[in-house]
Amino acid sequence: MIAARTVWPALIPFAAAVAALGLILAGLTLVGYAPGEVLATAWRGLAGSPLRLGIWAQEATPLLLTGLAAGLAFRCGVLNVGTEGQYLMGAVTALAVLLALPPSVLSPWLAALAGAGAGALWCALAYGLDRWRGVPLVLSAILLNVVAARVLGALVEGPLHDPTTAAPQSALVPEAARLGALLPGTALTLAAPLAVALAVASWLVQRQTALGFEFTVIGLNPVAGDLAGIPVESRRRLAALGSGALAGLAGAFQVAGVTWFLSGDAQSYGYAGIAVALLGRLHPLGMIPAALFFAGLDISGRQWERRLGIPHDLGDVAKGAAVALVLAAGFFRGRR
Amino acid sequence: MSAGILVDALLTGAVAAATPLLVAGLGELAAERAGVLNIGIEGLMLAGCFAAFAVTAATGNPWLGLGAAVLAAMALGGVFAVVSLTCRADQIVAGMAVNLLAVGGTGAAWRILQDRGLTDLPAGSGFTRGWTGIPALGELPVVGPLLFDQYGMTAFALVLAGVLALVRRRTRLGLVLHGVGQDPHALAASGVRVLGVRWGAVLFAAACAGLAGAYLSTMRTHAFVPLMTGGTGFVVLALVMFGRWSVGGLVVGCLLFGLAESAQQGLQSLPGARVVPHQLFQALPYLVALIALALAGRSAPGPAALGRPWPER
Repeated sequence: MIAARTVWPALIPFAAAVAALGLILAGLTLVGYAPGEVLATAWRGLAGSPLRLGIWAQEATPLLLTGLAAGLAFRCGVLNVGTEGQYLMGAVTALAVLLALPPSVLSPWLAALAGAGAGALWCALAYGLDRWRGVPLVLSAILLNVVAARVLGALVEGPLHDPTTAAPQSALVPEAARLGALLPGTALTLAAPLAVALAVASWLVQRQTALGFEFTVIGLNPVAGDLAGIPVESRRRLAALGSGALAGLAGAFQVAGVTWFLSGDAQSYGYAGIAVALLGRLHPLGMIPAALFFAGLDISGRQWERRLGIPHDLGDVAKGAAVALVLAAGFFRGRR
Repeated sequence: MSAGILVDALLTGAVAAATPLLVAGLGELAAERAGVLNIGIEGLMLAGCFAAFAVTAATGNPWLGLGAAVLAAMALGGVFAVVSLTCRADQIVAGMAVNLLAVGGTGAAWRILQDRGLTDLPAGSGFTRGWTGIPALGELPVVGPLLFDQYGMTAFALVLAGVLALVRRRTRLGLVLHGVGQDPHALAASGVRVLGVRWGAVLFAAACAGLAGAYLSTMRTHAFVPLMTGGTGFVVLALVMFGRWSVGGLVVGCLLFGLAESAQQGLQSLPGARVVPHQLFQALPYLVALIALALAGRSAPGPAALGRPWPER
């Protein structure tokens, strides 16, 4: 009985992922592609060699971190839909630190700290507007996402601009200041094991500590939490700050270890993190397969586009469909 | 340039920028009055924006494009309604899923359009300014540039605003809509199908968002670029709240925001403006929206049941 009740819900995201993928495959079959070839292309791109597997893990890392960020806040009932802005502010702050400090082994870690701090501050701004000025967090966070993208654009073309090019992109982080690759040929860095460790840590905090229990209670029913003597506001503040910090960390690691520069181009790891969190049913460990699924769709999409001429954005459609299916299956019911 | 022309340009630009916000905002207002907060409005606008462009590019008929925009946005709005109303998932996360679907769907479809070489509207197929067809009207002082030298959507938005205000004040439908968002229990007890009303409101809001999107790609500009809406839908959400969930408040909010947007563009073109990065000018309207909301404070709560599922258990 207990087994049935806990196992079934855990299987829903997997079923949703398969169904979403099936939907895409069915659509492609209808317009004349061979589903076997589509799948084989995806598989070769994902797991064709150890190098490919490394790239898969590399791509999943920022998604796992932003997923953990969104999940931490959502579990506590703080609907931080501002992970995108927090990710961007984390990335650009880390970049500024990396470019300003003399390069050393410590640089990427200082940048990670700065990025996490910037993400937390950006979330604190949204949270403060909610708490003290009555602007709903959902609105303040989502508007600050747009502002963050513009701020990043201005910094990238202004103080952080690469003087050797006219393109709107920042200078390159010096090699000595980068986070080293664990697997040559990829940008798989220590960020990946660290993200997994953070997922495990989140799960342990959620399961084993009073704090984790309080977060869960507040998320399920803040009134009950308040009556039980939980300091609801201070816990929510903590969840918001932690959430922003994780999103900022994701951006910082991406700059220090993967891209080494920033441009004004649209990014979406922050938005995708919300979807990863939902697909993982807000379970820190569930977000690991969810992040791998999303990263897998990104990589497969690019492979499909290159080899078969299928638009890579179809991967995004599959993401949206998977999340919609998980929600439709009764997860994250609207709160009272 | 004389000051008069400058002011004229500023105001014309303000109305042009306010129009899509008002059209989408009126729909969202109706939905929120019925208790449904749809963050996915950004995605619905994007879907409408793309569908209008694609169908106009393919057929050369902008009216067909307009229809396609409404249908595409309503289809996506239907997905939102199934997930958030029928399956009772949290409205905010359901809205985020809709945004994701719209970004992916329009991105993929845009590639297909590019492959077929349909990246421009056929010459003369987009809508043109001066919806009355009488150029003289556009030259009238004040009302000319504000009302007549605009796209038809502006006139439609104002009519729709009037109709919605009337419906709200004078009809049973208006009362029911309000009640469903305020106290669904009471309405259900008196025999109103709460879910049905909410479904209707969501689909109406989707249609409006689709029209607003079409305005962006077949009227204000005759082009589409991926992620074209760039946060406009989120501003609409802010404006509905800023306007205290009233039609009049929304109209005022949209005009103020349109003015900020128009002024932002004007400021950018001033000779000394090069010192300030243009992105900061682009961020200005969003900051204005945030500051306006922050100053407006929490004096008027929204519909009591906003964002809550029905039935509650």
